[in-house]
Amino acid sequence: MPALTQPPALGSLYAKAGLFGQLHRGSTLPDSVYTLADQSIDPSHLLAYQKVCGFRVTDVLPPTYLHMLAFPLSVALMTERAFPFPLIGLVHVANTITVARPVLMSETVSLRVNAENLREHPAGRQLDLVASATVDGEVVWSSRSAYLRRGGSPKSSGAPKSSGAPKRASAAPVVGPASLVKVPDDIGRRYGAVSGDRNPIHLYGVTAKLFGFPSAIAHGMWLKARTLAALEGRLAESFTVDVAFKTPVLLPSTIAIAAAATDDGWALDVRSAKNGKPHLTGTVSR
Amino acid sequence: MEKKVTVKTRRAAIVGGNRIPFARSNGKYSHASNQDMLTAAIDGLVARFGLQGEQVGEVAAGAVLKHSRDFNLTRESVLGSTLAPTTPAYDVQQACGTGLETAILVANKIALGQIDSAIAGGVDTTSDAPIAVNEGLREVLLDVNRAKSVPDRLKALTGLRPNQLVPTIPQNSEPRTGLSMGEHQAITTQEWGISREAQDELAAASHRHLAAAYDRGFFDDLVTPFLGLTRDQNLRPDTTVEKLSKLAPVFGTRLPGGVEGATMTAANSTPLTDGASVVLLASDEWAAEHKLPVLAHFVDGETAAVDYVHGDRKADGLLMAPVYAVPRLLARNGLTLQDFDFYEIHEAFASTVLTTLKAWEDAEFCKQYLGLDAPLGSIDRAKLNVNGSSLAAGHPFAATGGRIVASLAKMIHENGGGRGLISICAAGGQGVVAILEA
Repeated sequence: MPALTQPPALGSLYAKAGLFGQLHRGSTLPDSVYTLADQSIDPSHLLAYQKVCGFRVTDVLPPTYLHMLAFPLSVALMTERAFPFPLIGLVHVANTITVARPVLMSETVSLRVNAENLREHPAGRQLDLVASATVDGEVVWSSRSAYLRRGGSPKSSGAPKSSGAPKRASAAPVVGPASLVKVPDDIGRRYGAVSGDRNPIHLYGVTAKLFGFPSAIAHGMWLKARTLAALEGRLAESFTVDVAFKTPVLLPSTIAIAAAATDDGWALDVRSAKNGKPHLTGTVSR
Repeated sequence: MEKKVTVKTRRAAIVGGNRIPFARSNGKYSHASNQDMLTAAIDGLVARFGLQGEQVGEVAAGAVLKHSRDFNLTRESVLGSTLAPTTPAYDVQQACGTGLETAILVANKIALGQIDSAIAGGVDTTSDAPIAVNEGLREVLLDVNRAKSVPDRLKALTGLRPNQLVPTIPQNSEPRTGLSMGEHQAITTQEWGISREAQDELAAASHRHLAAAYDRGFFDDLVTPFLGLTRDQNLRPDTTVEKLSKLAPVFGTRLPGGVEGATMTAANSTPLTDGASVVLLASDEWAAEHKLPVLAHFVDGETAAVDYVHGDRKADGLLMAPVYAVPRLLARNGLTLQDFDFYEIHEAFASTVLTTLKAWEDAEFCKQYLGLDAPLGSIDRAKLNVNGSSLAAGHPFAATGGRIVASLAKMIHENGGGRGLISICAAGGQGVVAILEA
């Protein structure tokens, strides 16, 4: 089990994914567990993250911050030879984060990532990357990301099954006030510089077109973070935020973030302000 | 042993007011700063009431759109005025509620006996607006300033980008929703089903009433000419409902119903305006000593706020906070909505006034959201904004409260006594309301 002492370099992992991406084989997920112990939080990095995502500058880590710290471990796992799919082409379709308690900038966190739950999906195959953070052995934060590999499903002719993805709210339109947020065309480059996720589909129109997008697209986890930033002061100390990513945010864009109160939290609905196309739906619950 | 203090209170008197005519944005006052206009308004008040060289208890005023160099705007204006330079002053900012809030603050100090006289007011310019440097440029410049060595400074300068040269211009939109005030009100207008006709009628009445008030000399001792203006520049005495009905809607055109369903036009919404207003308040004794009149007394004030960011689309509209503030104020003073001779409901938009009235008439809304067994009910519309309001006069944000307090006090005085209600909505989902009486 790879127990790392420093985060793997995303750049070389992407290079590996690009060069050897097609060599992935296997019908099962590797049972590797990546760990990265005793990470202290870099205040200047946290500041840059808070600014690019629209969070207030504070000692408390944004709910999405640790996902970014764990992300290189996920990429290391997904670029293993035994991983069944090439990294490039995997689509991040959903993410659930549970904040067990607020985590402070002064705390030392240990991260753990594994892959599980490979399953059929009407459009291909899905799997989950599961990450968690502990402080002194106590789980303070966890995240489950569902990735979809389109096509190649041996049983796709069968009756469409439930995706088995984490449960989330229906896509019924949310009735509530919406906040309009302008998303500038350089947000992918800015978030990429902070998160290290410099996937070319997020950087420039030219590089995104190589992968079939009409323009650069915003990172899904940036969109989730920006949506949560709009709930400043309205989130409990512990909660679960569960979102599904719908159509990508083509840059630049103006999005409408709607959050309607529910019995135990919020129903989230983020759309294009221009044409109403859904970008993200989800819930915040206790 | 606990020290027992018995506080005797008294009602603050409204002695009079002064304002400069309100100018349309980029009109007659394009090059006048907030400090220029506020000083002019104070000097006009000083001249009217013979306060040259007088030390007033304090001056409280503010501006909504304020340059950082104007951190002491009111004190600087006082220093440049003919008031005694020993008059203390401070700035207040509560968006469009600023002017009325300053009156509440100084009236309370007078009531407690902490001061005997005060000037309350506000000023705003949308023409001479502050422009901020681009946020990216600001951060780089501050980093350069923080750097301790030349190499560090040069390194910080590498953060400069050509697009940082584009400055940031203040916008009339809510920071948390990205919607302009008009777009917010358009949602409220639609939710409450306020018709285009009713809005245009209210707008036309505002111009008619304001013009008539000027014609009969009502403003002769309330307004001092400034930079060539003797009346509010926005006033259209000859406007009619028919003329207003031809205008295209400007807000709410992207809501369900589209342009066809949109009802808010440039005429039934207040225009961007420049101007300043001030009010003189005092104890009855101070007024008598100075041989000055008491037009009315300041009875009570109340503020409220709504969660327009995440609240109910209909009940928590951005400009609906006065709907919540008034019933609390009435209950505290043992009054009903009908116990007034005059109603001054600030016309941020015609539909704001109409929504406010409709909400108070709505039994279900009053029960569910205001916790009332019976609705507040209707008002006699003949007592509403009888000398015109913001649709005709214009609305330099922080100056509106002073305009209304001074005008209403004079109306009550002219009436030989009576009671008036003031309701002002403000950005950030806030509302400031007050009662005057004589």
